[in-house]
Amino acid sequence: MTTTLRKALLGAVFAASLGVGAADAATIKVGVIAPFSGPFAMFGQTFKEGIAIYQAEHGKTVGGDTVEFVFRDLDQANPAQSKALAQELIVKERVSFLAGFTFTPDAMAVAPLIDEANIPAVIFNAATSAITEKSPRYVRTSFTLWQNTVPLANHIAKLGVKKAITAVSDYGPGIDGETAFKATFEKAGGAVVDTIRMPLKSNDFAPFMQRIKDSGAEAVYAFLPAGPTTLAFAKAFTDNGLKEKGIQFFGPGDITQEPDLPALGDAVLGMTTSFHYSQAHESAANKSFLAKYKELFGSSDNATFTSVGAYDGVHLIYTMIAKTGGKIDGLKAVEAVKGMSWESPRGPVTIDPDSRHIRQTVYLRTVERVNGKLQNTEKASFADQPDFGYKVGK
Amino acid sequence: MSATMTDGLSKGTTGPMTRDTTALAAPRRDFGWLAAPITGALGLAAFWLFPEDLGLMTRIAATALYVLSLDLVLGYCGIATLGHAAMFGTGAYAAGIAAVHLVNDPLVLLLIGGAAGGVMALVTGGLILHARGLTLLMLTIAVTQIVQEVANKARDWTGGSDGLSGVDPAPLLGLFRFDMFGRTSYLFAVAVLVVGMVAARRIVRSPFGLACRGVKEDPLRISALGGSPRAYLVTMYAVAGIFAGVAGALTAVSSGIVGLDSVSFSWSAEALVMLVLGGTGRLYGAVIGTVAFMTVHHILAATDPFHWMLFIGLFLMGIVLFLPGGIASGGERLRALLARKGEGDQA
Repeated sequence: MTTTLRKALLGAVFAASLGVGAADAATIKVGVIAPFSGPFAMFGQTFKEGIAIYQAEHGKTVGGDTVEFVFRDLDQANPAQSKALAQELIVKERVSFLAGFTFTPDAMAVAPLIDEANIPAVIFNAATSAITEKSPRYVRTSFTLWQNTVPLANHIAKLGVKKAITAVSDYGPGIDGETAFKATFEKAGGAVVDTIRMPLKSNDFAPFMQRIKDSGAEAVYAFLPAGPTTLAFAKAFTDNGLKEKGIQFFGPGDITQEPDLPALGDAVLGMTTSFHYSQAHESAANKSFLAKYKELFGSSDNATFTSVGAYDGVHLIYTMIAKTGGKIDGLKAVEAVKGMSWESPRGPVTIDPDSRHIRQTVYLRTVERVNGKLQNTEKASFADQPDFGYKVGK
Repeated sequence: MSATMTDGLSKGTTGPMTRDTTALAAPRRDFGWLAAPITGALGLAAFWLFPEDLGLMTRIAATALYVLSLDLVLGYCGIATLGHAAMFGTGAYAAGIAAVHLVNDPLVLLLIGGAAGGVMALVTGGLILHARGLTLLMLTIAVTQIVQEVANKARDWTGGSDGLSGVDPAPLLGLFRFDMFGRTSYLFAVAVLVVGMVAARRIVRSPFGLACRGVKEDPLRISALGGSPRAYLVTMYAVAGIFAGVAGALTAVSSGIVGLDSVSFSWSAEALVMLVLGGTGRLYGAVIGTVAFMTVHHILAATDPFHWMLFIGLFLMGIVLFLPGGIASGGERLRALLARKGEGDQA
C-alpha cells in the first residue's frame, strides 16, 4: 500500500512539474498609478490594502502565472505625468494591465496608450461618467456621481419634498452631482429652486447657508470632497440653524466615508447619504473582507469604498488572466468580463456590457453611533443601479 | 563685468536668490554657446541609451524649455516670479483647444501656444511689472490663481477639473506619427528645446538682452541713459511668455491632455526649484537643473513610491548647502580652482 501511495505521489509530482512546465509560467505585471504620497496618499494606501487583501485570500498566482503589482506615485491630478508613468509601465515594465487612477484627468490621459498597447485599464476610483467612453479598454469598479445621485433624488421626491436646492463644490464631480440631481428631481415632479457652486477651497460657508435658508427649499443636496471642508460645511449647517428650521440634508456618501467619520464627529449624526459601500454592510462577504483587513493591518477602520474598489478591481484582473490564459489581449480580456456578476463586499455587482462600469446596489444610509463608533447604517437599498451618466453628454 | 558694481543702488534691485550669480555668470571665457549642441548630442545619445524611458525624457525636455523661459525673467531681469505657470498653462490650453476644434498640425500648435503665452505675459506683465520684490511675487501668484480659476470655470472649453482630453496631433511634418513609445514626441521635444536654447542665447546676448541685464543691475542708470526699464522688463517678460507657451504646447502635444495642474501655483514653484537647483542666469543651468531634479525625482519615486519625498528634500538641501549657486556653478568653481592651481604651479 505504501508503494502504491509513493507511486501515486511521485506520479502526481511528475505530472505537476510537467504541467507547470507546459503552462509556461510567467509573471504578469499590473501597473498601479495612484497617489502614494502627499495629501491624497489615503487613496493609494487603501488601493494597496485592497490589493493585498485580495492576494492574501486568493494567492499570487493565476493558472501558474504570478501576478505582480508595480506601484507608481502620482501625488496629485497631473495628466501629463500620468501618461508618462503609464508609458514607462507599458514600455519598460511591460505591464499587461494598468490600474488605480484616483482623478479623472489622470485616467483619461492614458486612453490613447491603452488603445495602442491593447491592454485593459481597471479604474479603482476616478468617477466621471465620460471616462469609459474614451476607450473600449476601460473597466471601472468604483461608482459615478450619477449612479449614487439618481436613486437619492428619486427618494427625496418620494418623501414629498417639493422644493430642493443643490450646494456643490465647483469642480467636475460636484457639477456631475448637481446635473444628475437636477435632471432626476425635476423629472420626478420636484423643483430645484437654486444651484449653488462653492469654491473648492472655501472654508466659510455662512453666506451659502444664508442663501439656502432664503431659498425656501425643504431639502439640500450637498456634495463636497471628503475631508475638513465637509466637516466645516456640516458644522455651518447646524450652527446657522438650518437643521432646526427642518431643512433636510442629503448627499452622496463620499462626504461621510468611514476614515473621516471620527473627525467629522457628531456634526454628521443623522445625516442621510446614498452610496455603494458601507463598512456596516451586513453580509458574509463584507465580514470576511473586514476580518482579513484586521488580520493584515491591525484594524479595519480604514476600510472604505476605495479599498473595495481596488479589491474588486483585482478580482476582475484575476478573472481576465484566468479567462484569457495569461495571454493578454486588451479587447478580448475586457470582453471576457462583460456581464460578469459576483458578490462583492459591497453587495451584488455586475459589469455592465455597454458602459463597462460596475452595476451595483446603491444604499440609503444614516450616520449613527453604534457601540460608541460612528457608522453608516444602511436603511434602504436600490438594487442593480447602472451608471446613469453614461453617454449623457454635457 | 558687473561684480564690482556694489554701490547702494544696485543692492536693492537684485533679490537674495540672484545675489551671487552675477559674479559667477561672468567667467573669463564664455563656453555658453556649447550648451545647445551638447544638449542636442546628449539628447540623441539618451534616445539610443534609454529607449524605454522616452515618456519621462520627453517631459524633461519640455519642462527644461519651461524652466529656461523662467531663467529669462529671473536670471536676466531679476523678476522674482511664482506665477510662471500662467504662461505655460495658457500655451498648453490654447494649443489643446486649437487641437480639439481647429488644427492638429503639431508645429502650428506650438506657434499658437507660443502666441497665447506671449500675449498673456504681455498683458499681465504690463499690469504688474511696476511692482518690485515681494509685491511683485504676490501679484504673479495672483495672476496664476486667476488663470487657473478661469480654466476651471470655462468647462465647456477646458474640461475644468476633468482636464482637456482628445488632443490628437497629426503626424509631425506629415511623416512621423506620435506613437506609444514616444520616439516622435521625444525627438520633437529635444529639437524644440535645442532651437529654444539657441534662440534664448541670441536674445540674452543681443543689445536688448544686455539692456535687460542692465535693468537688473541698476534700473536708475538705465533710465539715466535714456532707456525705459519697465519697457525692457515687460518685453522680456513677453518673450519669456512665448517660450513658456511653446513649452506648454509641447507638453499638450506630447501628452495629449491638459489639466489644471499646468496652471497651478505648485508648477510655478517647481520651476523655480529646478532653476535655482541648476543655477540662474546661465540658460544651460535651467536645463541641468531640470534634468537633475526630474531624474532624481523619478528614480526615487519609482524605487520607493511611498517615502520618496523625504529623500528629494534631503537632496535639495544638500545641493543648497554645498553648491549654493546651483549645480552649474560647481563646474565653474572647479574651473576657477584649477586655474588658480595652474597659476600657482607656474609661479
